[in-house]
Amino acid sequence: MNLAEIHWTAQSSYPILAALQLLPLLAIVLILSLRGRAAVYPTAIGLAVAELLLSFDLYRHFDPAESAMQLAEQLPLLPLLDYHAAVDGMSVLFILLTAVLSLLLVLYAQVRKLANSTTFLAMVFAIEASLQGMFVTLDLLWFTLLSAVELLLIAYLLQRWAKAPQDDMAMGRYLQFMGIGLLLLLAGVFMLGWNHADATGGQWSFNLHDLTMVTVPVEIQSVIFFLLFYGIGIRIPLFPLHGWLPLVAEHGTIAVAGIFLLGLKTGIYGLVRFVLPLLPEAVLRWHDWVVAFALTGIFYAAILALMQVNLRRMLAFAVISHTGVIIIGLFSLSHAAFQGSILLSTTFGTATACLLLMSGFVYRRTRTLLLPRLGGLFGHLPVIGIAFLIAGLSIIGMPGTPGFDAVHLLLEAAILEFGAMVTIAAALGNVAAAAFLLWAFQRTFLAPLAEGMPAPEIEPAMPMERIIAVVLIMILLGTGFYSEPWLNLLEHSFDGLTALYDGNGHAGTLDLAGH
Amino acid sequence: MMFMSDSGFPLLSLMIMTLPIGAGLIWLVPDPRKARWIALLTALIDLALTLAIVTGFDHSTGDFQFVEQHAWIPTLHIQFHIGVDGMSVLFLPLTVLLFTGVILASWTSVRTLPRLYYTLLLILESATLGIFCALETILFFLFWELTLVPIFFLISLWGIGPQRRYAAVKYTLMMLTGGVPLLFGFLLLAFNHASLNGMGIPDGLVFDYPSLLSTPLPAELQTAVFFLLLLGFAVKAPVFPLHTWLPTIAMEGPASIAAIMTGLKLGVYGLIRFTIPLAPAAAQEYHWLIAGLGVVAILYGALMALGQTNLRRMLAFSSLSHVGLVLLGIASFNLQGIQGALFQLLNFSIVAGGIFLLTGFLHHRVGSTDIISLGGAASSMPLLAALFFLFGLASMGVPGTSGFPAEFLLILSALDTHTGAGLAALAGIVLGAAYFLGIYRRAFLGQIHNSAVADAIDLRARELVVIVVMGILILTAGFYPDSVLELTRTASENWVSTLSGK
Repeated sequence: MNLAEIHWTAQSSYPILAALQLLPLLAIVLILSLRGRAAVYPTAIGLAVAELLLSFDLYRHFDPAESAMQLAEQLPLLPLLDYHAAVDGMSVLFILLTAVLSLLLVLYAQVRKLANSTTFLAMVFAIEASLQGMFVTLDLLWFTLLSAVELLLIAYLLQRWAKAPQDDMAMGRYLQFMGIGLLLLLAGVFMLGWNHADATGGQWSFNLHDLTMVTVPVEIQSVIFFLLFYGIGIRIPLFPLHGWLPLVAEHGTIAVAGIFLLGLKTGIYGLVRFVLPLLPEAVLRWHDWVVAFALTGIFYAAILALMQVNLRRMLAFAVISHTGVIIIGLFSLSHAAFQGSILLSTTFGTATACLLLMSGFVYRRTRTLLLPRLGGLFGHLPVIGIAFLIAGLSIIGMPGTPGFDAVHLLLEAAILEFGAMVTIAAALGNVAAAAFLLWAFQRTFLAPLAEGMPAPEIEPAMPMERIIAVVLIMILLGTGFYSEPWLNLLEHSFDGLTALYDGNGHAGTLDLAGH
Repeated sequence: MMFMSDSGFPLLSLMIMTLPIGAGLIWLVPDPRKARWIALLTALIDLALTLAIVTGFDHSTGDFQFVEQHAWIPTLHIQFHIGVDGMSVLFLPLTVLLFTGVILASWTSVRTLPRLYYTLLLILESATLGIFCALETILFFLFWELTLVPIFFLISLWGIGPQRRYAAVKYTLMMLTGGVPLLFGFLLLAFNHASLNGMGIPDGLVFDYPSLLSTPLPAELQTAVFFLLLLGFAVKAPVFPLHTWLPTIAMEGPASIAAIMTGLKLGVYGLIRFTIPLAPAAAQEYHWLIAGLGVVAILYGALMALGQTNLRRMLAFSSLSHVGLVLLGIASFNLQGIQGALFQLLNFSIVAGGIFLLTGFLHHRVGSTDIISLGGAASSMPLLAALFFLFGLASMGVPGTSGFPAEFLLILSALDTHTGAGLAALAGIVLGAAYFLGIYRRAFLGQIHNSAVADAIDLRARELVVIVVMGILILTAGFYPDSVLELTRTASENWVSTLSGK
């Protein structure tokens, strides 16, 4: 696998990647120093906007025609832990999404008037910093440690701002699952480093460049693959490792934790960045199994989603269901597959974030998200309703939303790899998703309020709520009708991966007579 | 089929884009009560545009005209490519006319969220026009699926039945499921093109309709494409046994949606435009399947219609029966068959659309369309009853109405190629007369026994205008069918020769 790099000095006048990670840290300090003053919110919004502008600057400096890792920065820190950052198109996409979602969350915090707002805003920036760090680093250990930091920060969110009586249960279950996931991940990372030391005569390294230089013996590839795959799979979450999500969704914070965990598909990113390039033989050996599980998960979660009476739990199962589609795409292992599934994971991420934010706005008024108690909100909150529906349609993959172009690519790849049957099943899974999302939309927004329910005072949408909803609608529809720039951004990100899997005798050929 | 690239004024895009612009304007004008005026004005401007297109259309050639072609998403090999030929050009003014009628028919009956209602109608109209113009399979699919969102809302929010939300979900899910085989059919065609070009995937993928038409398709792949596209369009048409959404929509949805659903048979259009020309050999091999589906639909629809006690359900089953006859005509693969089929499809948009609008007027006055609460409606609403009868005659295919030449051509071609099926179709026409006259007698004639019927006022000027314009078109096309047949002839001849050529 070719991992050429372009140093940041060749492309930019300042180290953008370092700035991206340091700005949120600076924001934490500033916000904490302003604790309790009126200037906290404006400062936070300003800093979040600055981070977004910085990400756009990154997008501007990034050259999508180049397949090498770009804007690289390197600084030796500890013996085993070098700071080594560089980006390709995929990371740029995730960085942009992180900046957008963090800004929306800062705005959301202002609308919801959450308790302890200063601490809350500081938490948002802390998580943003850890996420940006994960998306730029090329060091596997660094990625794992930041992942641990991020998950702990989210645990704190769950403990502090949970919206349900059984919040301990949500946090407990979350910590158990994530702890195990992190241990598995750490074990896998450790084995990779050990293998490197073994091959190079005692020189440990967790750097992606170094790790790709040595081949992992086939006997232990499978072990490492399972450690890393399960470790990451728990956080994605993949069926059947999703046990923590419905509980966290039901008892945890309504939007905030969910957006960081589900809106930004860090797990998918980790699979593409580290697992697929490092363990090709194990991936090829096991990918049929992975896809079989993913396919089961799509339908299992879709059926469970249809049975939920709580909008929060329903959205959790929706996420598990659509993750299956991304995994099928990813493990089709071709250029279109990588491009499609990364675009799809950012689309699903944005759409999920939109669904969660809109549910948050609904909760602010109704104080419940039990579907039988909701209804008739569309007349009061049309913009929020439309944003909810468009996000739902993006998850279904409706043409005109970014979901379609991504699913389209993904299906093309999946037909070549797994044949028509699996692909048709995956596409039908999307229809199943349509069933529960449309039903939830009708139940929440269109159906009349149930008999005997006291009609709550529905306050019309505030300007800030409208802004958030309209921004999300514009992102989704804008990308939906014109996805070219994002596809372009990803055009050369997977050249190395594609070459790796094609080189392994794994070139997709269409068996036209077969179906 | 070749296509002509005249780089003139982008009339088709203008026609498609006028409507969303009008929809946007509705939200800029502060008074929500102005929404209907803006919608009507937009629809009328669009009507003028479509008439300009028909006038400028050159029917001596079978090529695509008013063609526009631009790059859209080059990475995915998707382009923006629209144009019309003789088979699709007449659908444009009739679609706009039907939507204009729907806007006028909703004038006073839509009170809740009027802005949203008219916005959705205009978007639906725009997407429908896009379906008729798209010359790119993915673009077609985009417009095809885009119609679902407004329809979902229109049924859920303004439906007249208590089960309207169930009906909306049922319709949307059936259509999304039907979309899966469609998309796969289009992908298979693109894959085939890529493998024949030797450019590999994804570089050689092509979704352009004229290019796909000229790409030969291996036999086994043709069968797959044929069945995928047949299935996808059969859900929309609807074809028995995938028709169950239609009676539900007719009962639960608003009259406007019922009129659009029965008036615009997009599924059958897709069958003519895509399924058969793109998989010609398979279509000819399985002609018996199309004809068989047609016969079953004719008889099943007619028999079911005979047993209905509600005008709206009766009309839904009658529409199913009429679609069956069109399928039978298509299955003959000759000039009379396809011309009859196109004529009948155009006819639906006025006759079926108009009769559903009339039923909507009736429902608005009486609060029901069940014959138990009707009876004697002709004495209090003579104009409505008389016009209902005229539209009924047209749907039966009585000479002098536009239904006659269409059904005549269809029956003629069916008797010629599938004699047994043609005889069954004749029986269906007899049944058609029976169910229509039977229910008409019970609903409109006899004694009045419901005070709501007695107090009902006859058609207002606004309603009358819509129906009379449609009625004049029915009679004109009935007496001078040549004007329509002339427009569709060259393209139809091309269509038939494509089939026999391969």
